[in-house]
Amino acid sequence: MRGLIRKLPEERLEGIGVCPGVAIGNAFLVDDPRGRVVRVFLPKEQLESEIFRFREAARAAQVQVKKDIERVRAALGSDHAYILEAHLLMLQDRTLGRQIENFIRVNHANAEWAVRDVTQHLLEVYGQIEDEYLRERGSDIEDVAHRIIKILSGKEQRSLNEMADNSIIVAGDLLPSVTADLNPRKVLGFVTGIGGWTSHTAIIARSVNIPAVVGVRDITERVRSGETVIIDGAAGAVILNPSPETLIFYTEERQRQQQQALYDIEERELPAITLDNHEARLRANIELIEEIDSYQRFNAAGVGLYRSEFLYSQAETGQPTEEEQYEAYKFLAGMVGDEGAVIRTFDLGGDKLHLDGFKTERNPAIGLRAIRLSLSVEPVFRTQVRAILRAAAHGDLKILLPFVTNVDEVRQAKKIISDVERELSDQNIPHEQRIEIGVMIEVPAAVMMAEALAREADFFSLGTNDLIQSLLAVDRGNENVSALFDPMHPAVLRAVKMVAEVADKMQIPVNVCGEMASNPAQVILLLGLGLRDLSMTPSAIPAIRRLVRSVKLTDAQALASHVLWMDTPAEVRHFVQAHLMDLGSELLAAAYPG
Amino acid sequence: MQQRTVTITNRLGLHARAAAKLVKLAARHKSRITLARADAPQKSADAKSIFSVLLLAATQNTSIEITVEGSDEELAMEALCRLIADKFGEE
Repeated sequence: MRGLIRKLPEERLEGIGVCPGVAIGNAFLVDDPRGRVVRVFLPKEQLESEIFRFREAARAAQVQVKKDIERVRAALGSDHAYILEAHLLMLQDRTLGRQIENFIRVNHANAEWAVRDVTQHLLEVYGQIEDEYLRERGSDIEDVAHRIIKILSGKEQRSLNEMADNSIIVAGDLLPSVTADLNPRKVLGFVTGIGGWTSHTAIIARSVNIPAVVGVRDITERVRSGETVIIDGAAGAVILNPSPETLIFYTEERQRQQQQALYDIEERELPAITLDNHEARLRANIELIEEIDSYQRFNAAGVGLYRSEFLYSQAETGQPTEEEQYEAYKFLAGMVGDEGAVIRTFDLGGDKLHLDGFKTERNPAIGLRAIRLSLSVEPVFRTQVRAILRAAAHGDLKILLPFVTNVDEVRQAKKIISDVERELSDQNIPHEQRIEIGVMIEVPAAVMMAEALAREADFFSLGTNDLIQSLLAVDRGNENVSALFDPMHPAVLRAVKMVAEVADKMQIPVNVCGEMASNPAQVILLLGLGLRDLSMTPSAIPAIRRLVRSVKLTDAQALASHVLWMDTPAEVRHFVQAHLMDLGSELLAAAYPG
Repeated sequence: MQQRTVTITNRLGLHARAAAKLVKLAARHKSRITLARADAPQKSADAKSIFSVLLLAATQNTSIEITVEGSDEELAMEALCRLIADKFGEE
């Protein structure tokens, strides 16, 4: 069928670039069987080949159904295959075939549209049947139509391990379970229909350093599996049906970037020291153990944030056991050595734990999640703490409590941790007796209460993603308002400043682990506000290292204290951008319009 | 040409499984086979098209007029009536 794909003009779609870089590959569509169908008006001379396309698809659908029938018969007996037999008859039904072919001819329609329209019409007729049981057969017609449309648009249900080399994953949205299954060696890039800078796909893409663009509306309707797709991650663009000139341009661009990547490797041993000799610590945010490659490639100074909840996407039983966790944490400890790693306890929502009687929350972002969930479902938290304390006997691990809004939560968590410690001592199980416990500062209440929290905590970790979201009252996953999610907002900078001052006064370490720490324009402000310990997606480390090495801390301080009292985010952005240009960091400013 | 009126007696009527059996049986014969509801004869269906058969919406106790025309019409009529009388092997 691929040979029949029409040659269409080049198309450039805009989205949100979440991991820079150029990728050129073949689209591999995942999910979305009920996606909308697009109407295309075909010229007369294409109609016969379109009818042929439909017939081929209908034939392929029959082959699929026959296989399904065999499978069901073998597994459940022939009585259970009858619905599929009805489907097969529908696919073989000449009445339907003729109607669809006629529709293509008369309306100059593409096959997908014809299938959808004719079956919709049939469905309406069935909808009028009075007998409920017979009326429900409509869903079979829908099912059959979906099957043909999926084949026509190259969206057959294929498993990810069938993926060819040089694939660009195209999906409406990618579930964590799907991304965990991906083979990073075969995937060149990601494009999704929804999502933002901090969506799951974005985080994964950055951690494995694969170009990605998210939030490209209707992408799954506009591209078919097997078509050539270009991703320009820095520009947030996706190019379909690239012209030969575009292809050459991006091939050269990709070569240039590969060259840059080699420089990055050459520079990886250079210290992150400002021109006036102040050292910054550049650490890595890690989700999956698979990221060990990128951790080492970019020479991170330890792991500043290990998002332990990703163990849930990999656990065989859906719930990671103490042993599974212990192995993962121990591996982490061994990997980071003296640099150490900070394990953030599960930042999960209640839906993940399959709790009895748990009702779907209207607003899970401010619902029963993270430390709240850990304290209300204590056994899950205790298991995690046991695994961490045991693993910490093998290396330098710290505990970080997420989403703290109240000093009491820290006290309760510390009590549980010391209970578990005593339990391990009683059982003579090797473990760390005096683990450091940190608090995430990621909601406005924690900023306001920083001093009290500092008395309970061994260290702070500034989670800018959630902090910006709650401080600015913006759902960053909501495309209607995601542009308001702005790290350059003076309110954000002032909150960061407050935390840095409290940490300084109370003499406890503070690190920044939100995405702000991976954006050069924002990092210069963080440095100026007094933060030196930055944890970021590993692939961002080379650019941040270069930035740190090209600024004076005194300049950054002057810049920060100047923009801190500006009125609007736009003023801040313009001023910082101009400053970066002055520094001769045009490249950085262009690559990351902060 | 053969013509006969029969009553659908199985509980679920001409639903997907029953219709599938009927269409498969009809397709094995060369004759042209049409079904019509006795209460609405203008609504006739090609017995070899599942969509058409399902659209008859023949529930339990619906009377159906079967018309068969072709070289194997007797055999076809016999087989169809047996299937329907047999409640499609369901009960």
